Amino acid sequence: MTDETIRDVLTRRGLSRRAFLQVCASVTAALALSPAEAADMTKRLETAERPTVIYLSYQECTGCLESLTRSFSPGIASLIFNDISLAYNDTLQAAAGQAAETAKDTAMKNAWGKYVLVVDGSVPLAQNGAYCAVAGRSAVSDLKRAAGGAAAVVAVGTCAAFGGLPYAAPNPTGAVPVSEIVRDRPVINISGCPPIAEVITGVILYYTTFGVPALDHLHRPMNFYGNTIHDRCYRRPFYDRGMFAKTFDDEGARQGWCLFELGCKGPITHNACPTTKWNGGTSYPIESGHPCLGCSEPGFWDKGGFYKALSTPTGHWSRTGVVSGAVAAGVAAGLSTAAVARARQGRAQKKAASADSEPKNPTS
Amino acid sequence: MNTTTLGAGPGAARAPVGDNKQGSLSDAERLDRAMTSFLRDFNTTSALYLEACVHCGQCAEACQYYVQTGDPKYTPIWKVEPIKQAYKRLTGPLAPLYRLFGLKKAVTIEELEQWQELLYDSCTLCGRCTLVCPMGIDIPSLVLAARHGMQEAGLVPDDLWGPTERARREGSPLGATKQVLKERIAWLTDDNNVTIPLDREQADILVTISSVEIMKYPQSITAMARVMNHIGASWTFRSDGYEATNFNMLSGDRTGQREATMRLINAALAINAKTVILPECGHAYQAFRWAGATMYGRPLPFRVVHISEYLAEELRAGRLSLKSDARSMTFHDPCQIARRGGVTEAPREIFRALGADLREMGPTPAGNWCCGGGGGVITIHRADSLRHRVFHLKMQQVEDTGAALLVSSCSNCRLTFDDGQDFFHWDKTAHSLVELVADNLAERH
Amino acid sequence: MNGASVLDFARGPVFEIALAMLIFGIAWRLVGIFALRRPVDYSEPRAGTGWGSGLRMIVSRSWPRREFRERVLHWDIVSYIFHVGYAVAILGYVPHIMLIRNLTGLQWPGLPGGVIAFAAGLSAGALLALLGHRLTSPVLRRLSNFDDYFSWLLAFTPLVTGLMAYYGIGGNYQMVLGLHILAGDILFAWLPFGKIMHVILLAFSRGTTGAAYGRRGAPI
Repeated sequence: MTDETIRDVLTRRGLSRRAFLQVCASVTAALALSPAEAADMTKRLETAERPTVIYLSYQECTGCLESLTRSFSPGIASLIFNDISLAYNDTLQAAAGQAAETAKDTAMKNAWGKYVLVVDGSVPLAQNGAYCAVAGRSAVSDLKRAAGGAAAVVAVGTCAAFGGLPYAAPNPTGAVPVSEIVRDRPVINISGCPPIAEVITGVILYYTTFGVPALDHLHRPMNFYGNTIHDRCYRRPFYDRGMFAKTFDDEGARQGWCLFELGCKGPITHNACPTTKWNGGTSYPIESGHPCLGCSEPGFWDKGGFYKALSTPTGHWSRTGVVSGAVAAGVAAGLSTAAVARARQGRAQKKAASADSEPKNPTS
Repeated sequence: MNTTTLGAGPGAARAPVGDNKQGSLSDAERLDRAMTSFLRDFNTTSALYLEACVHCGQCAEACQYYVQTGDPKYTPIWKVEPIKQAYKRLTGPLAPLYRLFGLKKAVTIEELEQWQELLYDSCTLCGRCTLVCPMGIDIPSLVLAARHGMQEAGLVPDDLWGPTERARREGSPLGATKQVLKERIAWLTDDNNVTIPLDREQADILVTISSVEIMKYPQSITAMARVMNHIGASWTFRSDGYEATNFNMLSGDRTGQREATMRLINAALAINAKTVILPECGHAYQAFRWAGATMYGRPLPFRVVHISEYLAEELRAGRLSLKSDARSMTFHDPCQIARRGGVTEAPREIFRALGADLREMGPTPAGNWCCGGGGGVITIHRADSLRHRVFHLKMQQVEDTGAALLVSSCSNCRLTFDDGQDFFHWDKTAHSLVELVADNLAERH
Repeated sequence: MNGASVLDFARGPVFEIALAMLIFGIAWRLVGIFALRRPVDYSEPRAGTGWGSGLRMIVSRSWPRREFRERVLHWDIVSYIFHVGYAVAILGYVPHIMLIRNLTGLQWPGLPGGVIAFAAGLSAGALLALLGHRLTSPVLRRLSNFDDYFSWLLAFTPLVTGLMAYYGIGGNYQMVLGLHILAGDILFAWLPFGKIMHVILLAFSRGTTGAAYGRRGAPI
């Protein structure tokens, strides 16, 4: 089975050469490849071995999988992903219980050392990993075992990539991202809450054809995470001209002005939303009138509030406390240094007075 | 004996304090006295000034010494560096931090000796720097505070300390004792056929004199008498309170300054004076008009005016009438009376009444260049060449007006002008405003 | 430390500490000055209490008197370019206004980013020129101390990092933005402890002299 190429599978399923080229075009466009790279990728996809993908879920909400399966239909890329490559997935498969565990073991054994391990959800470490367990095995040990046979690990979603919601303060489960557990092989982070479906499939196809893509310092593929939302935002001109929506229902909001003041995290958020967009290229949050939450960045839950402008303090402490404490301490410090100075002056005065009573002001 | 150079500026002169020390105190005692004095003087106002400086250096551009020499040590705020240092280490709110991080070193006796030249020889307290300072720091007030410490430490230039000490002993810095005054007045009365009331027991007005006038410009005393008589005022000189010149203030001698001030106050109180008139002397105006009440410790029960103010008042009241003198004239505003004293309109009213062709110096009164002799500098002979250097500015300013007559209302300025005239063989002589008025009194009808 | 954590750090605890230092320091220094002995002036004023002159001088000393312009105006203008450029960048840029609103509840309309960048660029240029002046003028070299250079650096850093963030220079935007905010925090914290305190002391020292001269009827 694993000897089949992608092209073979598609042909078997009745996809014409023309349709195959369309698949290639859409994937290469999503990856923003150069024409030469695109031609290269098409050639490679024709001969590339069908990849095996094993998809495991831990502390997650299934939103990522929802994004992947419902993004658009009939998505050709998702077709490739779901129908052709996916060897194991808890949620999508019909099997359950012992049968599911057996299926997983079989899938791993069949492609041991070669499969792509996709993980969504963070991994809890507190209480020996008791917060998330599958078939009596903790997520952390399950992940370690699965990663052992993986050629590469793709952490899908911000939970898997950076810890996400479970990781948010105070992180009761001791959640960590996948990269904290898997350290001996490449981990590609596809962050987002959820990530864009085309980004997930695009990265897996890219890996199949070219290997690990160029990654940023957070191990995200540069193709999709190379720019900030702000850099590519169609509302950017309003930012540059200083035109901002101040509330969600003011004239600025209706006119589609920049949402910075409403807390938009676009300037610090790296993702492909403004270019790839969502729902088959329909729109993305800012286009729908909502500021970017910064969901593809680490710790986005803990940046002081989604509607707090980026340039304002996150304000973890009580402002009244800080200000009144500082005023009180300052006044106390001022009064005490002045008291010390006055005491010194008093002593000087006394000294001068006693010197005055003696003959002084020596004449030359 | 410390003879280190003052700073590292180009051509920085050696500053041999040499014998310019008073008494036989040890260095440690001198330093201690200076610091004690600095400490006593600090208050909210000086603190604000010492805290606010941003080191922009603009005061240098206003200072005649820097403008004429280009030597950065003459930057006005630099002249008070020791007191600034003392403040930051001992009194300022951040003093603990300054000491903790060693950001300000303790003042040393060597520094005080080095700074003698900067605090005395090269500051006339003219106050131009105050008007340029973007923070509005009144640097002369800080120089005076620093001089208090220097005096306590016995570090006043001998040339200035001499008259100061004499003032303490004799009541007058230049030897114009009570006896000399009495003789001088008797002689002036005879020579000029003028009534000069002395020691009247009651009078509305106490008129005071500068010892410079008694010793150098006695005609000024006659002029004052003639003008006062013309007006018909109830006035007198008093031999127990005549000396308005306050060299003690200039040296930094607080005790002597108070004594000199109190002599005038007591004399005025003794005759129930309603007004005290200060003579043509800039520092007298500063010392008595503005610092007098504070020395007294409460508001004075009489008013204090400069003679030019009084003359302008009398002109307005119609009790003083003048003949016309249409010559072209220029007026040198004495720093302590005009820029720092607030008397700017009165002399001009007098020139208008004379019908004089007044050609103002540029700039005056606020930006007027000092004659270079104020603040006691005129007495310090080692500073003569420096004083002559800055006098160029003044000469140029006078020359630029093209006026025939140079008039001022301060005999200390006049003394400086005379010295400059001699030194440079200049054709301009400074005249007294009061004498000009006395010479042009209209005949009574 | 990566960009995101620098940014969170700068916006979070460091900002709060800086704000506390700012307020603490200002209170300390002002109270420390005003709780010293007050001088008493018993002389009879020539022209009222001088309050009016004090207030007038706070404004009027913002521009050199005619007498001194020839010698100081050029550097005053450079200094003004720095100060005005700085003020425009601080008060006109919407992200900064957001901060001010967050702190005080006050807000006003912002200016276009290009204007801000221009102002900040001018300001940075003027600041460099002022440093050059400080390093070459004998007077300023004589007067300058640690505070002058350190405060210069702390004033310059937010300008440069702000411009870098605006133009996307320096790669990692979050890091640059984080450093910019951090630089601002440090400036806040340092303000009351060095010469930058003049932004507050200026009014008091000008006002004091203005009042003293005003009651004498002397020119201010």
